[in-house]
Amino acid sequence: MSNRVSHQDVVKKLLDTKSVDFAAVGKAVAELGPSLAVADEPWDIFCGTMRTFFHCYIITVGGTVESLPELRGAAGELQ
Amino acid sequence: MSEFAIPVVGRPVAVPSSPLCPLDPQTDAGEGQWLPRDLARRLCHVLDVAGQVVERLAREGFIDSVEPGNNVPPEKVVSETAFLLLAASTANRHEHVRTRVEKVARLLIPHARSERMLLGACLEPALALDFAQAHICLSRLGYRDEAFDALLRRSLVSQARFGRERAPHRMLEQEWLYATWRNPPGQSRGTPRAALQSVLGRPMDLLNGHRDDIYAFTHALMYVTDWNLKPRALPRARAAILADAEAALARCLDEQDYDLAAEVLLAWPLTGQSWSAAAAFAFRVLARVEDEAGFLPAPSTRLQRLNTLKGAARSAYLLATAYHTIYVMGLLCAAALQPGRTPPAQVPTGAAAPDSAALIVPFLSRRSPKANPVPDVPRSGEPVAEGSHWWGEFQRLNAVERDALAVLLLNIALRRKVVQRDFGGLRDLLKAAYAAGLADSPAASQAAELLERVALLVRLPAPLR
Repeated sequence: MSNRVSHQDVVKKLLDTKSVDFAAVGKAVAELGPSLAVADEPWDIFCGTMRTFFHCYIITVGGTVESLPELRGAAGELQ
Repeated sequence: MSEFAIPVVGRPVAVPSSPLCPLDPQTDAGEGQWLPRDLARRLCHVLDVAGQVVERLAREGFIDSVEPGNNVPPEKVVSETAFLLLAASTANRHEHVRTRVEKVARLLIPHARSERMLLGACLEPALALDFAQAHICLSRLGYRDEAFDALLRRSLVSQARFGRERAPHRMLEQEWLYATWRNPPGQSRGTPRAALQSVLGRPMDLLNGHRDDIYAFTHALMYVTDWNLKPRALPRARAAILADAEAALARCLDEQDYDLAAEVLLAWPLTGQSWSAAAAFAFRVLARVEDEAGFLPAPSTRLQRLNTLKGAARSAYLLATAYHTIYVMGLLCAAALQPGRTPPAQVPTGAAAPDSAALIVPFLSRRSPKANPVPDVPRSGEPVAEGSHWWGEFQRLNAVERDALAVLLLNIALRRKVVQRDFGGLRDLLKAAYAAGLADSPAASQAAELLERVALLVRLPAPLR
Protein backbone atom coordinates (compact mmCIF):
# COMPACT_ATOMS: atom_id res chain seq x y z
CA MET A 1 0.00 0.00 0.00
CA SER A 2 1.37 3.33 -0.99
CA ASN A 3 0.76 5.00 2.34
CA ARG A 4 2.49 2.35 4.40
CA VAL A 5 5.78 3.46 5.93
CA SER A 6 8.71 1.54 4.50
CA HIS A 7 11.12 0.15 7.04
CA GLN A 8 13.95 0.65 4.59
CA ASP A 9 12.98 4.27 4.00
CA VAL A 10 13.03 4.99 7.71
CA VAL A 11 16.41 3.35 8.18
CA LYS A 12 17.86 5.13 5.16
CA LYS A 13 16.58 8.48 6.38
CA LEU A 14 18.19 7.92 9.76
CA LEU A 15 21.45 6.81 8.21
CA ASP A 16 21.46 9.85 5.95
CA THR A 17 21.31 12.11 8.98
CA LYS A 18 24.68 10.64 10.00
CA SER A 19 23.50 11.00 13.59
CA VAL A 20 24.81 7.54 14.45
CA ASP A 21 28.59 7.61 14.72
CA PHE A 22 29.44 4.07 13.73
CA ALA A 23 33.15 4.73 14.08
CA ALA A 24 32.65 5.73 17.71
CA VAL A 25 30.45 2.70 18.33
CA GLY A 26 33.09 0.46 16.79
CA LYS A 27 35.76 2.04 18.97
CA ALA A 28 33.72 1.37 22.11
CA VAL A 29 33.15 -2.23 21.05
CA ALA A 30 36.84 -2.66 20.43
CA GLU A 31 37.63 -1.34 23.89
CA LEU A 32 34.96 -3.25 25.79
CA GLY A 33 34.76 -6.42 23.74
CA PRO A 34 37.76 -8.35 25.09
CA SER A 35 36.87 -7.87 28.75
CA LEU A 36 33.17 -8.52 28.18
CA ALA A 37 33.98 -11.70 26.29
CA VAL A 38 35.36 -13.28 29.46
CA ALA A 39 32.90 -11.66 31.86
CA ASP A 40 30.46 -13.69 33.98
CA GLU A 41 27.53 -12.54 31.85
CA PRO A 42 28.91 -12.74 28.33
CA TRP A 43 25.53 -12.41 26.67
CA ASP A 44 25.47 -8.67 27.30
CA ILE A 45 28.08 -7.83 24.69
CA PHE A 46 27.81 -6.41 21.23
CA CYS A 47 29.39 -9.22 19.28
CA GLY A 48 28.61 -12.85 19.03
CA THR A 49 25.03 -12.75 20.25
CA MET A 50 21.59 -12.33 18.78
CA ARG A 51 20.84 -9.52 21.14
CA THR A 52 19.74 -6.22 19.57
CA PHE A 53 21.30 -3.11 21.01
CA PHE A 54 20.03 -0.53 18.58
CA HIS A 55 16.30 -0.15 18.36
CA CYS A 56 14.53 2.23 16.04
CA TYR A 57 10.93 3.19 16.75
CA ILE A 58 8.38 5.36 15.07
CA ILE A 59 7.10 7.42 17.97
CA THR A 60 3.93 9.41 17.79
CA VAL A 61 4.21 13.02 18.81
CA GLY A 62 3.61 13.40 22.52
CA GLY A 63 3.74 16.37 24.78
CA THR A 64 1.18 19.06 25.05
CA VAL A 65 -0.89 21.05 22.67
CA GLU A 66 0.49 24.27 21.22
CA SER A 67 -0.38 27.76 22.45
CA LEU A 68 -4.15 28.17 22.13
CA PRO A 69 -4.10 31.78 20.88
CA GLU A 70 -1.57 30.84 18.22
CA LEU A 71 -3.65 27.86 17.16
CA ARG A 72 -6.60 30.20 16.81
CA GLY A 73 -4.70 31.92 14.03
CA ALA A 74 -4.95 28.73 12.02
CA ALA A 75 -8.48 27.78 13.05
CA GLY A 76 -10.08 29.75 10.23
CA GLU A 77 -8.31 27.57 7.68
CA LEU A 78 -10.22 24.51 8.87
CA GLN A 79 -13.50 25.66 7.36
CA MET B 1 6.26 29.01 44.98
CA SER B 2 4.75 26.24 42.95
CA GLU B 3 1.77 27.22 40.91
CA PHE B 4 -0.04 24.38 42.59
CA ALA B 5 0.67 25.55 46.08
CA ILE B 6 -1.50 28.62 45.76
CA PRO B 7 -2.89 29.79 49.07
CA VAL B 8 -6.21 30.92 47.63
CA VAL B 9 -7.71 27.44 47.69
CA GLY B 10 -10.44 27.49 50.25
CA ARG B 11 -11.25 31.13 49.63
CA PRO B 12 -14.40 31.71 47.59
CA VAL B 13 -13.66 32.89 44.07
CA ALA B 14 -16.45 34.33 41.99
CA VAL B 15 -17.22 32.47 38.79
CA PRO B 16 -16.71 34.98 36.00
CA SER B 17 -19.58 35.75 33.72
CA SER B 18 -18.11 34.02 30.73
CA PRO B 19 -19.67 33.11 27.40
CA LEU B 20 -18.09 29.72 27.99
CA CYS B 21 -20.90 28.31 30.09
CA PRO B 22 -23.99 29.83 28.53
CA LEU B 23 -26.90 29.05 30.76
CA ASP B 24 -30.26 28.35 29.32
CA PRO B 25 -32.13 31.56 30.16
CA GLN B 26 -35.24 29.53 30.80
CA THR B 27 -33.64 27.58 33.64
CA ASP B 28 -32.54 28.53 37.09
CA ALA B 29 -28.90 29.58 37.09
CA GLY B 30 -28.08 27.37 40.07
CA GLU B 31 -29.42 24.20 38.46
CA GLY B 32 -29.04 25.12 34.80
CA GLN B 33 -27.96 22.87 32.00
CA TRP B 34 -25.49 23.72 29.31
CA LEU B 35 -27.30 25.64 26.62
CA PRO B 36 -28.29 23.20 23.83
CA ARG B 37 -27.92 25.99 21.29
CA ASP B 38 -24.26 26.27 22.21
CA LEU B 39 -23.76 22.51 21.91
CA ALA B 40 -25.41 22.58 18.49
CA ARG B 41 -23.15 25.45 17.44
CA ARG B 42 -20.08 23.45 18.40
CA LEU B 43 -21.39 20.40 16.57
CA CYS B 44 -22.12 22.46 13.45
CA HIS B 45 -18.55 23.76 13.50
CA VAL B 46 -17.28 20.19 13.60
CA LEU B 47 -19.54 19.20 10.71
CA ASP B 48 -18.21 22.12 8.68
CA VAL B 49 -14.68 20.85 9.29
CA ALA B 50 -15.88 17.38 8.29
CA GLY B 51 -16.93 18.76 4.92
CA GLN B 52 -13.39 20.04 4.38
CA VAL B 53 -11.91 16.76 5.54
CA VAL B 54 -13.97 14.79 3.04
CA GLU B 55 -13.13 17.12 0.18
CA ARG B 56 -9.40 17.22 0.87
CA LEU B 57 -8.51 13.88 2.49
CA ALA B 58 -11.15 11.27 1.63
CA ARG B 59 -9.71 10.34 -1.76
CA GLU B 60 -6.03 9.90 -1.02
CA GLY B 61 -5.69 10.32 2.72
CA PHE B 62 -2.59 12.12 3.92
CA ILE B 63 1.03 11.06 3.59
CA ASP B 64 3.62 12.96 5.60
CA SER B 65 7.10 12.14 4.37
CA VAL B 66 8.68 14.12 7.20
CA GLU B 67 6.62 12.73 10.09
CA PRO B 68 5.12 9.40 9.03
CA GLY B 69 3.21 9.27 12.31
CA ASN B 70 0.87 11.85 10.79
CA ASN B 71 -0.10 9.57 7.92
CA VAL B 72 -3.84 9.05 7.61
CA PRO B 73 -5.21 6.39 5.26
CA PRO B 74 -8.36 7.37 3.37
CA GLU B 75 -10.34 4.49 4.89
CA LYS B 76 -9.83 6.01 8.34
CA VAL B 77 -10.99 9.44 7.24
CA VAL B 78 -14.05 8.05 5.51
CA SER B 79 -15.05 5.69 8.33
CA GLU B 80 -14.61 8.25 11.09
CA THR B 81 -16.57 10.86 9.17
CA ALA B 82 -19.43 8.41 8.68
CA PHE B 83 -19.41 7.57 12.39
CA LEU B 84 -19.52 11.28 13.22
CA LEU B 85 -22.52 11.73 10.92
CA LEU B 86 -24.37 8.85 12.54
CA ALA B 87 -23.73 10.31 15.99
CA ALA B 88 -24.65 13.82 14.88
CA SER B 89 -27.90 12.56 13.37
CA THR B 90 -29.20 11.94 16.89
CA ALA B 91 -29.29 15.73 17.18
CA ASN B 92 -31.19 16.17 13.93
CA ARG B 93 -33.97 18.07 15.64
CA HIS B 94 -31.61 21.04 15.37
CA GLU B 95 -32.12 22.18 11.81
CA HIS B 96 -28.58 23.49 11.33
CA VAL B 97 -27.22 20.13 12.42
CA ARG B 98 -29.57 18.20 10.15
CA THR B 99 -28.74 20.21 7.04
CA ARG B 100 -25.01 19.78 7.65
CA VAL B 101 -25.34 16.04 8.24
CA GLU B 102 -27.15 15.73 4.93
CA LYS B 103 -24.59 17.87 3.11
CA VAL B 104 -21.57 15.97 4.40
CA ALA B 105 -23.28 12.61 3.86
CA ARG B 106 -23.76 13.39 0.17
CA LEU B 107 -20.12 14.40 -0.10
CA LEU B 108 -19.08 11.18 1.61
CA ILE B 109 -21.16 8.66 -0.34
CA PRO B 110 -18.82 8.28 -3.36
CA HIS B 111 -15.87 7.69 -1.03
CA ALA B 112 -17.75 5.28 1.25
CA ARG B 113 -18.68 3.16 -1.75
CA SER B 114 -15.59 3.74 -3.83
CA GLU B 115 -13.83 1.05 -5.81
CA ARG B 116 -11.22 0.93 -3.06
CA MET B 117 -13.84 0.09 -0.43
CA LEU B 118 -15.59 -2.43 -2.68
CA LEU B 119 -12.31 -4.14 -3.47
CA GLY B 120 -11.41 -4.31 0.21
CA ALA B 121 -14.74 -5.85 1.15
CA CYS B 122 -14.44 -8.28 -1.75
CA LEU B 123 -10.81 -9.39 -1.42
CA GLU B 124 -10.51 -9.45 2.37
CA PRO B 125 -13.73 -10.87 3.84
CA ALA B 126 -12.29 -10.84 7.36
CA LEU B 127 -12.08 -7.06 6.98
CA ALA B 128 -15.32 -6.66 5.06
CA LEU B 129 -17.17 -4.92 7.88
CA ASP B 130 -14.22 -2.57 8.38
CA PHE B 131 -14.25 -1.54 4.73
CA ALA B 132 -18.04 -1.28 4.88
CA GLN B 133 -18.21 0.85 8.03
CA ALA B 134 -18.97 4.09 6.24
CA HIS B 135 -21.46 2.35 3.95
CA ILE B 136 -23.21 0.87 7.00
CA CYS B 137 -23.41 4.19 8.83
CA LEU B 138 -24.75 5.92 5.74
CA SER B 139 -27.28 3.13 5.24
CA ARG B 140 -28.54 3.63 8.78
CA LEU B 141 -28.94 7.31 7.95
CA GLY B 142 -31.16 6.32 5.04
CA TYR B 143 -28.62 6.46 2.21
CA ARG B 144 -28.83 2.83 1.12
CA ASP B 145 -26.96 1.00 -1.66
CA GLU B 146 -28.22 -2.45 -2.61
CA ALA B 147 -25.18 -3.32 -4.73
CA PHE B 148 -22.77 -2.76 -1.84
CA ASP B 149 -25.10 -4.76 0.42
CA ALA B 150 -25.05 -7.68 -1.99
CA LEU B 151 -21.26 -7.80 -2.05
CA LEU B 152 -21.09 -7.44 1.72
CA ARG B 153 -23.57 -10.29 2.21
CA ARG B 154 -21.42 -12.55 0.05
CA SER B 155 -18.25 -11.68 1.95
CA LEU B 156 -19.90 -12.27 5.32
CA VAL B 157 -20.89 -15.83 4.44
CA SER B 158 -17.42 -16.74 3.23
CA GLN B 159 -15.22 -19.21 5.11
CA ALA B 160 -12.62 -16.54 5.83
CA ARG B 161 -15.12 -14.14 7.37
CA PHE B 162 -13.86 -14.71 10.95
CA GLY B 163 -10.26 -15.20 9.87
CA ARG B 164 -8.83 -12.39 11.92
CA GLU B 165 -8.22 -12.44 15.67
CA ARG B 166 -9.35 -9.31 17.47
CA ALA B 167 -9.17 -7.75 20.91
CA PRO B 168 -12.53 -7.66 22.77
CA HIS B 169 -13.24 -4.01 21.97
CA ARG B 170 -12.59 -4.75 18.31
CA MET B 171 -14.91 -7.76 18.54
CA LEU B 172 -17.54 -5.39 19.90
CA GLU B 173 -16.93 -3.10 16.96
CA GLN B 174 -17.56 -5.97 14.56
CA GLU B 175 -20.73 -6.97 16.40
CA TRP B 176 -21.90 -3.37 16.41
CA LEU B 177 -21.23 -2.95 12.69
CA TYR B 178 -23.10 -6.14 11.88
CA ALA B 179 -26.07 -5.20 14.07
CA THR B 180 -26.10 -1.68 12.62
CA TRP B 181 -26.11 -3.08 9.12
CA ARG B 182 -28.90 -5.59 9.82
CA ASN B 183 -30.68 -3.07 12.07
CA PRO B 184 -33.26 -5.58 13.34
CA PRO B 185 -36.50 -4.16 14.74
CA GLY B 186 -37.04 -3.94 18.48
CA GLN B 187 -34.69 -3.19 21.33
CA SER B 188 -31.44 -5.06 21.83
CA ARG B 189 -31.11 -6.80 25.16
CA GLY B 190 -28.40 -8.48 27.19
CA THR B 191 -24.71 -7.86 27.52
CA PRO B 192 -22.47 -8.83 24.60
CA ARG B 193 -20.06 -11.59 25.58
CA ALA B 194 -17.10 -9.58 24.30
CA ALA B 195 -18.09 -6.73 26.63
CA LEU B 196 -17.55 -9.01 29.63
CA GLN B 197 -14.05 -9.77 28.35
CA SER B 198 -13.29 -6.16 27.52
CA VAL B 199 -11.88 -3.51 29.84
CA LEU B 200 -15.49 -2.45 30.43
CA GLY B 201 -16.10 -5.72 32.20
CA ARG B 202 -13.28 -5.44 34.73
CA PRO B 203 -11.29 -2.66 36.40
CA MET B 204 -8.74 -0.82 34.28
CA ASP B 205 -5.14 -0.42 35.38
CA LEU B 206 -5.69 3.19 36.38
CA LEU B 207 -2.15 4.00 37.48
CA ASN B 208 0.11 2.24 34.99
CA GLY B 209 -2.20 1.45 32.10
CA HIS B 210 -1.37 2.49 28.59
CA ARG B 211 -3.19 5.01 26.46
CA ASP B 212 -4.43 2.11 24.37
CA ASP B 213 -6.27 0.71 27.40
CA ILE B 214 -8.28 3.92 27.72
CA TYR B 215 -8.88 3.86 24.00
CA ALA B 216 -10.22 0.31 24.32
CA PHE B 217 -12.49 1.44 27.17
CA THR B 218 -14.00 4.34 25.27
CA HIS B 219 -14.55 2.38 22.09
CA ALA B 220 -16.08 -0.60 23.86
CA LEU B 221 -18.50 1.78 25.54
CA MET B 222 -19.51 3.41 22.28
CA TYR B 223 -20.28 0.05 20.70
CA VAL B 224 -22.14 -1.43 23.68
CA THR B 225 -24.31 1.65 24.10
CA ASP B 226 -24.90 2.02 20.35
CA TRP B 227 -25.03 5.75 20.75
CA ASN B 228 -28.19 5.28 22.82
CA LEU B 229 -30.04 4.11 19.72
CA LYS B 230 -30.39 0.46 20.77
CA PRO B 231 -28.15 0.17 23.83
CA ARG B 232 -27.09 -3.20 25.20
CA ALA B 233 -26.73 -3.88 28.91
CA LEU B 234 -23.45 -2.77 30.46
CA PRO B 235 -21.15 -5.52 31.75
CA ARG B 236 -20.70 -3.79 35.12
CA ALA B 237 -22.67 -1.33 37.21
CA ARG B 238 -22.69 2.17 35.74
CA ALA B 239 -21.17 3.55 38.93
CA ALA B 240 -18.20 1.16 38.70
CA ILE B 241 -17.59 1.99 35.05
CA LEU B 242 -17.82 5.72 35.71
CA ALA B 243 -15.43 5.46 38.66
CA ASP B 244 -12.85 4.03 36.27
CA ALA B 245 -13.75 6.70 33.73
CA GLU B 246 -13.13 9.45 36.30
CA ALA B 247 -9.60 8.24 36.92
CA ALA B 248 -8.91 7.97 33.20
CA LEU B 249 -10.39 11.41 32.67
CA ALA B 250 -8.09 12.90 35.30
CA ARG B 251 -5.07 11.50 33.50
CA CYS B 252 -6.22 12.71 30.08
CA LEU B 253 -6.94 16.22 31.34
CA ASP B 254 -3.60 16.45 33.07
CA GLU B 255 -1.73 15.25 30.00
CA GLN B 256 -3.74 17.50 27.67
CA ASP B 257 -4.84 14.43 25.77
CA TYR B 258 -8.11 16.01 24.69
CA ASP B 259 -8.86 13.40 22.08
CA LEU B 260 -9.11 10.74 24.77
CA ALA B 261 -10.56 13.11 27.36
CA ALA B 262 -13.53 13.83 25.12
CA GLU B 263 -13.94 10.12 24.38
CA VAL B 264 -13.87 9.29 28.09
CA LEU B 265 -16.45 12.02 28.76
CA LEU B 266 -18.83 10.19 26.45
CA ALA B 267 -19.19 7.66 29.26
CA TRP B 268 -21.62 9.96 31.06
CA PRO B 269 -24.15 10.81 28.34
CA LEU B 270 -23.94 7.33 26.82
CA THR B 271 -24.75 5.49 30.05
CA GLY B 272 -27.26 7.70 31.84
CA GLN B 273 -28.47 11.16 32.66
CA SER B 274 -26.28 12.37 35.51
CA TRP B 275 -22.92 14.07 35.12
CA SER B 276 -20.47 13.93 38.01
CA ALA B 277 -18.67 17.02 39.22
CA ALA B 278 -15.46 15.85 37.52
CA ALA B 279 -17.25 15.18 34.23
CA ALA B 280 -19.03 18.54 34.26
CA PHE B 281 -15.75 20.28 35.04
CA ALA B 282 -13.91 18.41 32.29
CA PHE B 283 -16.54 19.43 29.79
CA ARG B 284 -15.97 23.05 30.78
CA VAL B 285 -12.23 22.62 30.27
CA LEU B 286 -12.66 21.17 26.79
CA ALA B 287 -15.17 23.84 25.83
CA ARG B 288 -12.85 26.60 26.97
CA VAL B 289 -9.87 25.11 25.15
CA GLU B 290 -12.02 24.80 22.04
CA ASP B 291 -13.16 28.40 22.35
CA GLU B 292 -9.64 29.72 22.84
CA ALA B 293 -8.01 27.74 20.04
CA GLY B 294 -10.97 27.80 17.67
CA PHE B 295 -11.01 23.99 17.67
CA LEU B 296 -10.18 21.25 20.14
CA PRO B 297 -6.49 20.68 19.41
CA ALA B 298 -4.19 17.69 19.59
CA PRO B 299 -0.43 17.70 20.22
CA SER B 300 0.13 16.39 16.71
CA THR B 301 -0.59 19.82 15.19
CA ARG B 302 2.75 21.61 15.40
CA LEU B 303 2.76 25.29 14.54
CA GLN B 304 6.42 25.37 13.59
CA ARG B 305 5.81 22.73 10.96
CA LEU B 306 2.54 24.31 9.85
CA ASN B 307 4.26 27.61 9.27
CA THR B 308 6.73 26.01 6.86
CA LEU B 309 3.87 24.91 4.62
CA LYS B 310 1.74 26.80 2.14
CA GLY B 311 -1.36 26.28 0.05
CA ALA B 312 -2.82 22.82 -0.29
CA ALA B 313 0.02 21.19 1.63
CA ARG B 314 -0.66 23.46 4.59
CA SER B 315 -4.39 22.77 4.57
CA ALA B 316 -3.85 19.05 4.27
CA TYR B 317 -1.38 19.00 7.15
CA LEU B 318 -3.66 21.05 9.38
CA LEU B 319 -6.71 18.94 8.64
CA ALA B 320 -4.90 15.62 8.89
CA THR B 321 -3.31 16.37 12.25
CA ALA B 322 -6.34 18.09 13.78
CA TYR B 323 -9.46 16.46 12.43
CA HIS B 324 -9.67 13.44 14.73
CA THR B 325 -9.75 15.41 17.98
CA ILE B 326 -12.14 17.91 16.41
CA TYR B 327 -14.44 15.03 15.50
CA VAL B 328 -14.39 13.65 19.03
CA MET B 329 -15.61 17.01 20.35
CA GLY B 330 -18.41 16.72 17.82
CA LEU B 331 -19.27 13.24 19.09
CA LEU B 332 -19.36 14.56 22.64
CA CYS B 333 -21.61 17.49 21.76
CA ALA B 334 -23.92 15.19 19.79
CA ALA B 335 -24.24 12.84 22.78
CA ALA B 336 -24.77 15.81 25.10
CA LEU B 337 -27.60 17.04 22.87
CA GLN B 338 -29.60 13.85 23.36
CA PRO B 339 -32.66 14.37 25.59
CA GLY B 340 -31.74 14.31 29.25
CA ARG B 341 -28.01 13.93 28.58
CA THR B 342 -26.94 17.59 28.66
CA PRO B 343 -24.13 18.47 31.08
CA PRO B 344 -24.74 20.96 33.85
CA ALA B 345 -23.41 24.44 33.21
CA GLN B 346 -21.93 24.59 36.70
CA VAL B 347 -19.97 21.99 38.63
CA PRO B 348 -22.42 20.06 40.83
CA THR B 349 -21.54 20.56 44.48
CA GLY B 350 -23.80 18.06 46.20
CA ALA B 351 -20.92 15.73 47.11
CA ALA B 352 -18.44 18.42 48.14
CA ALA B 353 -16.65 17.79 51.43
CA PRO B 354 -15.57 21.08 53.05
CA ASP B 355 -11.87 21.94 52.62
CA SER B 356 -11.09 18.62 50.90
CA ALA B 357 -9.55 20.23 47.79
CA ALA B 358 -7.09 22.19 49.90
CA LEU B 359 -5.86 18.93 51.41
CA ILE B 360 -4.99 17.43 48.02
CA VAL B 361 -3.64 20.46 46.15
CA PRO B 362 -0.21 20.40 47.88
CA PHE B 363 0.33 16.89 46.53
CA LEU B 364 0.04 18.11 42.95
CA SER B 365 3.55 19.50 43.02
CA ARG B 366 6.15 17.56 41.10
CA ARG B 367 7.73 16.05 44.15
CA SER B 368 6.76 15.89 47.79
CA PRO B 369 9.27 17.38 50.20
CA LYS B 370 9.49 14.08 52.04
CA ALA B 371 9.79 12.02 48.88
CA ASN B 372 12.21 9.14 48.99
CA PRO B 373 11.87 7.43 45.64
CA VAL B 374 13.17 3.96 45.07
CA PRO B 375 16.52 4.34 43.29
CA ASP B 376 17.16 2.92 39.85
CA VAL B 377 13.49 2.62 39.00
CA PRO B 378 13.02 4.03 35.51
CA ARG B 379 10.56 6.86 35.05
CA SER B 380 8.36 7.28 32.05
CA GLY B 381 7.46 10.78 30.80
CA GLU B 382 6.34 12.92 33.70
CA PRO B 383 3.02 14.67 33.17
CA VAL B 384 2.80 18.38 32.73
CA ALA B 385 2.58 20.22 36.02
CA GLU B 386 2.52 23.90 35.13
CA GLY B 387 0.23 25.79 32.85
CA SER B 388 -2.36 23.05 32.53
CA HIS B 389 -5.60 24.19 31.02
CA TRP B 390 -7.56 22.31 33.66
CA TRP B 391 -5.73 24.19 36.37
CA GLY B 392 -6.67 27.52 34.84
CA GLU B 393 -10.31 26.45 34.81
CA PHE B 394 -10.04 25.13 38.35
CA GLN B 395 -8.88 28.53 39.52
CA ARG B 396 -12.09 30.05 38.20
CA LEU B 397 -14.22 27.95 40.54
CA ASN B 398 -15.46 28.92 43.96
CA ALA B 399 -14.40 27.03 47.07
CA VAL B 400 -17.38 24.69 47.19
CA GLU B 401 -16.96 23.76 43.53
CA ARG B 402 -13.28 23.08 44.14
CA ASP B 403 -14.15 20.81 47.03
CA ALA B 404 -16.54 18.92 44.77
CA LEU B 405 -13.52 18.13 42.59
CA ALA B 406 -11.35 16.75 45.38
CA VAL B 407 -11.51 13.20 44.01
CA LEU B 408 -10.48 14.47 40.56
CA LEU B 409 -7.49 16.20 42.18
CA LEU B 410 -6.72 12.99 44.05
CA ASN B 411 -6.81 10.97 40.82
CA ILE B 412 -4.43 13.44 39.15
CA ALA B 413 -2.07 13.42 42.11
CA LEU B 414 -2.09 9.61 42.35
CA ARG B 415 -1.17 9.25 38.71
CA ARG B 416 1.62 11.85 39.01
CA LYS B 417 3.13 10.15 42.05
CA VAL B 418 3.15 6.79 40.30
CA VAL B 419 4.67 8.17 37.10
CA GLN B 420 7.33 9.93 39.17
CA ARG B 421 7.94 6.69 41.11
CA ASP B 422 7.48 8.83 44.23
CA PHE B 423 6.22 6.04 46.47
CA GLY B 424 6.82 7.99 49.67
CA GLY B 425 4.69 10.81 48.30
CA LEU B 426 2.09 8.27 47.21
CA ARG B 427 1.87 6.92 50.74
CA ASP B 428 1.48 10.42 52.20
CA LEU B 429 -1.15 11.26 49.63
CA LEU B 430 -3.18 8.15 50.36
CA LYS B 431 -2.97 8.84 54.06
CA ALA B 432 -4.29 12.37 53.57
CA ALA B 433 -7.03 11.16 51.21
CA TYR B 434 -8.14 8.50 53.66
CA ALA B 435 -8.29 11.02 56.50
CA ALA B 436 -10.42 13.29 54.32
CA GLY B 437 -12.78 10.48 53.35
CA LEU B 438 -11.69 10.61 49.69
CA ALA B 439 -9.98 7.24 49.36
CA ASP B 440 -13.03 5.23 48.39
CA SER B 441 -12.12 5.16 44.71
CA PRO B 442 -10.64 2.49 42.44
CA ALA B 443 -7.50 4.54 41.76
CA ALA B 444 -6.84 4.97 45.48
CA SER B 445 -7.44 1.29 46.05
CA GLN B 446 -5.04 0.35 43.25
CA ALA B 447 -2.47 2.75 44.68
CA ALA B 448 -2.70 1.00 48.06
CA GLU B 449 -2.16 -2.36 46.35
CA LEU B 450 0.85 -0.92 44.53
CA LEU B 451 2.40 0.22 47.80
CA GLU B 452 1.86 -3.24 49.26
CA ARG B 453 3.68 -4.81 46.32
CA VAL B 454 6.53 -2.31 46.54
CA ALA B 455 6.89 -2.99 50.26
CA LEU B 456 7.07 -6.71 49.53
CA LEU B 457 9.62 -6.12 46.80
CA VAL B 458 11.86 -4.13 49.11
CA ARG B 459 11.83 -6.95 51.66
CA LEU B 460 12.96 -9.55 49.10
CA PRO B 461 16.59 -10.69 49.25
CA ALA B 462 18.85 -8.69 46.97
CA PRO B 463 19.58 -11.42 44.36
CA LEU B 464 15.87 -11.71 43.64
CA ARG B 465 15.56 -8.01 42.92
